[in-house]
Amino acid sequence: MSLQNLIMSLQKYWSDQGCYLAQPYDLEVGAGTMTPDTFFRVLDRRPWRVGYVQPSRRPNDGRFGENPHRVQKHHQYQVIIKPSPSDIQKIYIDSLVNLGIDLSVHDLRFDEDDWESPTIGAWGVGWQVVLDGLEITQFTYFQQAGGVELFPVPVEITYGLERLEMFLEGKDNIFDLDWSGDVSYRDLRLREEKEFSEYNFNLADIDRLRKSFALAEAEAAMLIDKGLLLPAYDMCLKCSHLFNVLDARGAVSVTERVKTIGQIRSLVVRVAQKYCAEQGRT
Amino acid sequence: MEFLLEINTEEMPAPHVKAGLSQLKEKIERELQANHIMCHSLETYGTCRRLVAIGDFAPKQEDREEVIIGPPKAVAFAADGSPAQAAIGFARSQHAEVGKLQVIPTLRGEYVGLKKITKGRPTGGILAGALPDVITSLSFPKMMKWGEVNIRFSRPIKRILCLWGGKVLAFSIEGLKTNGLTSGHKLHSPQPFKVISFREYRSGLKKNKVILSADERKYMILNQIEKRLRPLEAQLYPDEELLEKLTYDVEYPYVFLGEFPQEYLRLPLEVLSVAMKEGQKLFSVIREGRQLPFFLGVADALSDRKSLIRRGNERVLRARLEDARFFWEQDLKVPLAQRAAGLRQVVFQEKLGHYENKSARLKQLVAYLCDRLDENKLKKDAVQAAELCKVDLLTEMVREFPSLQGKMGGLYAKEEGYPSTVSRAIYEHYQPAGLEDPLPSSNAGALLSLADRVDSIVGVVGIGVLVTGSSDPFGLRRHANGICRIVLDRKLPLSFDPLLEKAFSAYGDSLEKSKQEITEYCRAFFGQRLRFIYEGQGYRYDLVEAALSAGLDPIYFSYLRLIALASLQKSPHFEPFILMAKRVNNILRGLPPYAVNPDLFAEKEEQEIWSSFCIIRDNALPLIAAGEFVKAQNMIFKLQAPLSAFFDKILVMAEDKRIRQNRLALLQALSGLLLKIADFSHVVVEGEKKERAP
Repeated sequence: MSLQNLIMSLQKYWSDQGCYLAQPYDLEVGAGTMTPDTFFRVLDRRPWRVGYVQPSRRPNDGRFGENPHRVQKHHQYQVIIKPSPSDIQKIYIDSLVNLGIDLSVHDLRFDEDDWESPTIGAWGVGWQVVLDGLEITQFTYFQQAGGVELFPVPVEITYGLERLEMFLEGKDNIFDLDWSGDVSYRDLRLREEKEFSEYNFNLADIDRLRKSFALAEAEAAMLIDKGLLLPAYDMCLKCSHLFNVLDARGAVSVTERVKTIGQIRSLVVRVAQKYCAEQGRT
Repeated sequence: MEFLLEINTEEMPAPHVKAGLSQLKEKIERELQANHIMCHSLETYGTCRRLVAIGDFAPKQEDREEVIIGPPKAVAFAADGSPAQAAIGFARSQHAEVGKLQVIPTLRGEYVGLKKITKGRPTGGILAGALPDVITSLSFPKMMKWGEVNIRFSRPIKRILCLWGGKVLAFSIEGLKTNGLTSGHKLHSPQPFKVISFREYRSGLKKNKVILSADERKYMILNQIEKRLRPLEAQLYPDEELLEKLTYDVEYPYVFLGEFPQEYLRLPLEVLSVAMKEGQKLFSVIREGRQLPFFLGVADALSDRKSLIRRGNERVLRARLEDARFFWEQDLKVPLAQRAAGLRQVVFQEKLGHYENKSARLKQLVAYLCDRLDENKLKKDAVQAAELCKVDLLTEMVREFPSLQGKMGGLYAKEEGYPSTVSRAIYEHYQPAGLEDPLPSSNAGALLSLADRVDSIVGVVGIGVLVTGSSDPFGLRRHANGICRIVLDRKLPLSFDPLLEKAFSAYGDSLEKSKQEITEYCRAFFGQRLRFIYEGQGYRYDLVEAALSAGLDPIYFSYLRLIALASLQKSPHFEPFILMAKRVNNILRGLPPYAVNPDLFAEKEEQEIWSSFCIIRDNALPLIAAGEFVKAQNMIFKLQAPLSAFFDKILVMAEDKRIRQNRLALLQALSGLLLKIADFSHVVVEGEKKERAP
């Protein structure tokens, strides 16, 4: 099964579960969790079901395309269901069976792994799902986002698409994966990995990035005051990505790191609080 | 009657299962007791997906007899024994016949009364009423909510099976009703099935690929490990913690043996075993202490007939080891000494500066310790170790596997050809990491560990962070325990105050608290840690208190004082001596110090006690200085007879002020000597009550 067939199969499966199929968000994010289709929709009380692919950037994980497992951009398949259904584990397991995995000859484990994203003030309780030693999914009952206690509780299922595809194809090198029948992961992404690694680690202009960060931060604060929360949140995402590039560039000391994450979080928390206040929640 | 409860959940972490089971047992027992229900047996079982209690309880509460007192016998019956109006009225008010009344003897005389038997209610109803609270009040290290349910638990509850005498005991929690169903292995036998007894439950689970008993699962794991290792003539690299975790993580254990390419054996054992353990939960395989290119994994599976589980794990491990090798090679490209400049970038604590500051302080402290402990030969190496010991925080390997901090520094230092004293000291300087963890084996390692911990404690206390019951963000308790254990184990003659003073001065003027404040706080704090250690070893709390109150100069002497007290407590001299010492202390309480003038001793008894005291003091002081507390104490026991004669014959509170103060001065001198051995006023002795009674 190629990567695009894997994506189509998951799309079909979660669509059948009543999920609306969103398109990837058009900003750089570190994870599917950070996009508005997750972040805002978990805050209110209304039911929500969504599934989508989200390209996710982690500049620090770049390896110039030389490491068979680590890349600065990978793809997640993100599912959010609120409230979490009582048989969600079974629904998830069936999604793997649906991919043609015969679980009777494998070892599937739900290993304690409590997830946390300090930048967006979010944490949850759950597991990493491990298949024959390979972590293929992060499975989380969201407890807080933007510093707000969540109720009803959403469940978040995040498949690591490349990992899962490596398992399905039985390959040891990410670049050997088939995106489609004729197009390999190498064809599509190797140059991108090399160039972005070079940029993130060696060429990013620290001063200009810091200025961009300050601009996005100021813009976010202004937008929060005006009550334009979606654009405000976009600005927070820009801050988060700029920070990640600065971090990869080695421009962030440990103290500054804590401080900067705190700055972004406090903006995100204000967005979340305002959003909840509008929804009649505090 | 048989009681069976199974709380079926999604996968709980092993420590949660254990915490849940012990609370479940305790809470059910408490309910039974409070409701007067006889409990013949109660046991618990658990896996990551179920908390189970099985019990045998009485079918109903015990009947309770209640006595209701009525009028006095004298007014209740007439002289001829026939019931009077008072008795008839009382009986009517209790809806009983007069004939049922009995004579009840009480403290105030004989009364007429009625014995009423309250029949016990059936246990089932009581349990059904109590269990929802029992279950929802279980607490776990981290709790969560799910769906739209208004309770917190370790992980979502899926189903509750509850049987009482073979029938479903009905109750519900947040809309989830109990039933008679359970289910087997989540992949191999997920369909629910019905049970009516524990026997059926247990065998049904086994048939459906769940081993209920943790002991049995552990036995299966160990048995299979043994079977896999026998042909290799190899052993498991023991890891109790991992074994315990896996015992709860799987419901049906299957052990598989995997291999990795020989080339990775060039990596140190520590790196290999962490790469295997963290993430994949694999055991290392060794032969005669050397790593073999094999590992053992525990799957939640019946078998691995297609070898997919083994091959999958091999592939993932290979990638992980490849990463580790990359880190190892990258890290070695930059020598530690060169990397050390980067310590300025790593914050130790915001108010306490970065790790370069810390290294500089550690160098001073370690040099002080070497001087103090006559370890001059060690000094050069120990100081070098102090300079380099934190550098590995900047390596890729420690960034990837933080639990290897210290060890990596030591391994890299060894690769770079530093003297083994240096590399071992770096390697060991985080030891002991916990109460059970081994102590540093080398002298330099022990000194560096002490220096690092004292520095952290003084710094963190110095910026006003206090350790409270639940809050100890910098692990100061662990540091203090480590210091105490090292000092006691190595019998180091280190005095507490000068050590703290040295650590304090190494900070220059960057601390907020004064030296005195820090020392006082730390003295109490270390006192607590030592008390905890000594009481944990089984020493009596009052003896511990007496030994500790005599001071920490040096720290190790508190232990010598304690064992002396413990060995002498059976001596016939002990109790009378303690009582005498307390009497002296009582007389002296609140007095200013006076000076002895031997010329003023007029009476025979006071001359005698003074001369005995002088001789004994001169003999005891060198013993005390040498830590020979048993001998010193035995010597001091000899003061008992002259002191007793003194108290018998001499009035301390003489009318003449000069004589009185001279006698008090004598007692003060004596008390001062005693305090060098122990603060006897803390010791509790049998005879004390007699002494205090008028």
